[in-house]
Amino acid sequence: MTDLLARVLLPVASVEDAQATARAVAPYLGDAGSVVAVHVIEKAGGAPDKASVEQRESYAGEVFDAVREQLGDVETDLRFDTAVEDAIFAAAADHDASAIVFTPRGGSRWLRLLTGDVTLHVVTETDRPVLVLPDIGEAAVEGGEAEGSVGAAPESEASNPERADPADGASDDTASVEESAGGDEHAP
Amino acid sequence: MTEEELAKDLGPLAALTIGVGTMIGAGIFVLPGDAVQSAGSLAIASFVIGGFIALLTAFSASELGTAMPKSGGAYYYVNHALGPLFGSVAGWANWLGLAFASAFYMVGFGRYVQDIVGVGGVVAVGPFAMTPVKLVALVGAALFIGVNYVGAKETGRLQNVIVMLLLAILAVFTLVGAFRADPANLPASPGVGSMLGTTGLIFVSYLGFVQITSVAEEIKAPGRNLPRAVIGSVVLVTVIYALVLLIMTAAVDQGFIAEVEAAGEIAVVQTAALFLGPVGATAMLVGGLLATASSANASILASSRINFAMGRDNIVSPDLNKIHPRFATPYRSIAVTGGLILVFVLAGSVNDLAKMGSALHLIIYALLNVALIVMRTVDPADYQPDYRVPLYPVTPLLGAVTSVALLAYIDLTLVLFSFGIAAAAVVWYFLYARTRTEKQGILGEYILSRAEEMPEPAVSAASSVQPDGGSYRVMVPLANPEHEHDLITLASAIAKQHGGTVVATHIVTVPDQTALASAAEHADELDETSAQLLADAEADAETFGVPVETHTIVSHRSFEEVFDAARDHDADLVVMGWGPDSHGSPGRVESALDEVTSTVPCDFLVMRDRGFDPSHLLVPTAGGPDSDLSAEVARLLQAEFGSEVTLLHVAEAGEEASAREFIEDWAAGHDLGDAACRIETGDVETAIEAATGDCSMLILGATERGLLSRLVSGSLVLDVVDEVDCSVIMAEKKRRRSLRERLFG
Repeated sequence: MTDLLARVLLPVASVEDAQATARAVAPYLGDAGSVVAVHVIEKAGGAPDKASVEQRESYAGEVFDAVREQLGDVETDLRFDTAVEDAIFAAAADHDASAIVFTPRGGSRWLRLLTGDVTLHVVTETDRPVLVLPDIGEAAVEGGEAEGSVGAAPESEASNPERADPADGASDDTASVEESAGGDEHAP
Repeated sequence: MTEEELAKDLGPLAALTIGVGTMIGAGIFVLPGDAVQSAGSLAIASFVIGGFIALLTAFSASELGTAMPKSGGAYYYVNHALGPLFGSVAGWANWLGLAFASAFYMVGFGRYVQDIVGVGGVVAVGPFAMTPVKLVALVGAALFIGVNYVGAKETGRLQNVIVMLLLAILAVFTLVGAFRADPANLPASPGVGSMLGTTGLIFVSYLGFVQITSVAEEIKAPGRNLPRAVIGSVVLVTVIYALVLLIMTAAVDQGFIAEVEAAGEIAVVQTAALFLGPVGATAMLVGGLLATASSANASILASSRINFAMGRDNIVSPDLNKIHPRFATPYRSIAVTGGLILVFVLAGSVNDLAKMGSALHLIIYALLNVALIVMRTVDPADYQPDYRVPLYPVTPLLGAVTSVALLAYIDLTLVLFSFGIAAAAVVWYFLYARTRTEKQGILGEYILSRAEEMPEPAVSAASSVQPDGGSYRVMVPLANPEHEHDLITLASAIAKQHGGTVVATHIVTVPDQTALASAAEHADELDETSAQLLADAEADAETFGVPVETHTIVSHRSFEEVFDAARDHDADLVVMGWGPDSHGSPGRVESALDEVTSTVPCDFLVMRDRGFDPSHLLVPTAGGPDSDLSAEVARLLQAEFGSEVTLLHVAEAGEEASAREFIEDWAAGHDLGDAACRIETGDVETAIEAATGDCSMLILGATERGLLSRLVSGSLVLDVVDEVDCSVIMAEKKRRRSLRERLFG
């Protein structure tokens, strides 16, 4: 299991998502593990994009900065694709990632319908392990450092990563570990 | 494919449909009835003249677009060429012009929905009474604003299909109509004046081509595809407009259009019904809905690009361009534009909205043509358009003149209102944007660089509207009262040389357990030295005649607060003291602190204060950006206090000759030609220490990245700072990681 986090790919969609993902993964990363953060600019494919490319690139800079703020100088990869999940898989293959790690972004069914459910695609179409970590929440991390008592100190989870109790976190998302060993385990 | 190619995915056809899709909605589906009624058979000429004026500007937009394929289009070119004063006018006119045009499209959309549903009269919604057309327009506008707020990439692709469908409908309409055409049907024309008035009204049908330039950065091979799309879309829609208008006047009886319009029906739909029965009418109704919707949708999208480009230049607040974390859309910009559209739908009649859209765009088109002339005249080295306007300078001159001339045929009140918006944009520039924007136009640079040859009024006009990007601000975080005088003296001397301001701040640190809000109330009690310290600082700065601001900041953190305060107060330079006990020790883990200090928000001077005596300055240098700053400080102090300056370069043994050459070049390159140059060999720190014997102050450039981060983490850079007897100033340049480093670092 130690190999699972040898080289993790963090798909990060927004500054908030980057903070949550980096916060969640930090306690589990050993000295040997390396991280590649990937941000995908969704292209309309032959039509004007939702926002200017230059605008999205500058936002990507903010997103990567948010990852670096938590995890130090990690590798980053900016991709352009009409399907976000395809770009994530391509990045995972290019970087030979041992696992794709993210925190769920929540949101109602309607919101998912509007924005496209990237999570579902990633989980159902993956060719390598996918690890979903609970968002442990900003309060938990900062409180833990400032007063050293209340809140879920991430270190306590690190000793027992597979059984990280989601109730400790500020998030209501459920922790789950999804794994699929090879390309033959695609969902129907 | 490279990143660049992946980011640019608009092919020639997609680019063309942006233009055609934005324009065709208004020209064919909303305005022909009004146009035929007011200009008779000359309505065709109105559309052709409008197309001709648009084409002249399309040439200029193409050339500028291939030279600068940047997001923001027309605004960007005008701002770049004519400077931010005109940039502000073009940006606001383009933004509001699109909002007016979108409101107009939505009212057109409302007419189609009403025609289909067939409800007349007045609808009362709460206290408001409005026509069903306006109600539908409001709902439709809210819908398309919502679509863009959430950002569905499918709408863009749908646009291509819609344009193809519209072209097919209109082709059938024209062909069938052609068999019925009879020149005897052509109505009489009321004259050239009303024809030109009609051109002013229908010019709103020719706004779409500039929207292509606003997405220029996404177009594949823009050098070839952008001119084709821009010019091609204008030519194509002009031909379609002319043919459809010809059919509508020649293939129906005289008076038919007037009858239909009087009955509240839509002219083009009734004409199609006449030719093709209910099938024709249905096709036109569907076409009208799709066309007005796609025009509005494309305009809302384009306006957010203009907002982005304006925010990038600080003409408006960049906060307007925040990206939504979930939808990845510029949601604030779209919401503000959406609000404007709703107001305009409520406020204006369909013709007034069309004319406002036309008038504001005519102002932009005139400026665009002038921008082209300026770029050609000044011909900066980086201006390399792949496409060049034919018959220069006749084409852009004619484009500018005809655009302004057409304004004369739009209702005076609306033109005055448009000029009022332009005037408000000028006021906006002087009150808001001038202190924030930094970009100077090519025109201003050109005039000011040739101040001697240019006529005096031009030079004074150019310099009086220059952006100042804010005045130079030197922030001094004060902690220890003992060093207040020396730090303020140093800061004031530099501020005075820059004609800037000193910002004295006292950062009061309170324990983590104390809430900041309650601490702020008791700030004076918590630290009674604060008031005295800032009063002293004020008095010291005033002896230099430098304006001074004072602030007390209450914070849990000390050192990091300096960075935040520097950002908050727009500091260009921070002058701070550093000693064994100043500003506390860092409170956070080191990696986070490294992150804080790897982006240095402005220049920093850190002073180890052993008395302020600028009589003889020693500046050791090995080149590099941080010693550029130490040279600048030495130069400013020399100008203020008449200091003697010695430059020191420590070379490898045996390379003294090349070292001498280096230091003399360096001195000349930094305006320190009169400084004494000293070459030493051996250990750097020993050499510096030895050289300080004769000097009163040592100015050190940070020799490598992270001087500040190591200062705060306690591992001081050079022992020499502690070992010499004089004051030491350490200089670190502003450092911001480039976008490239942040994305691919």
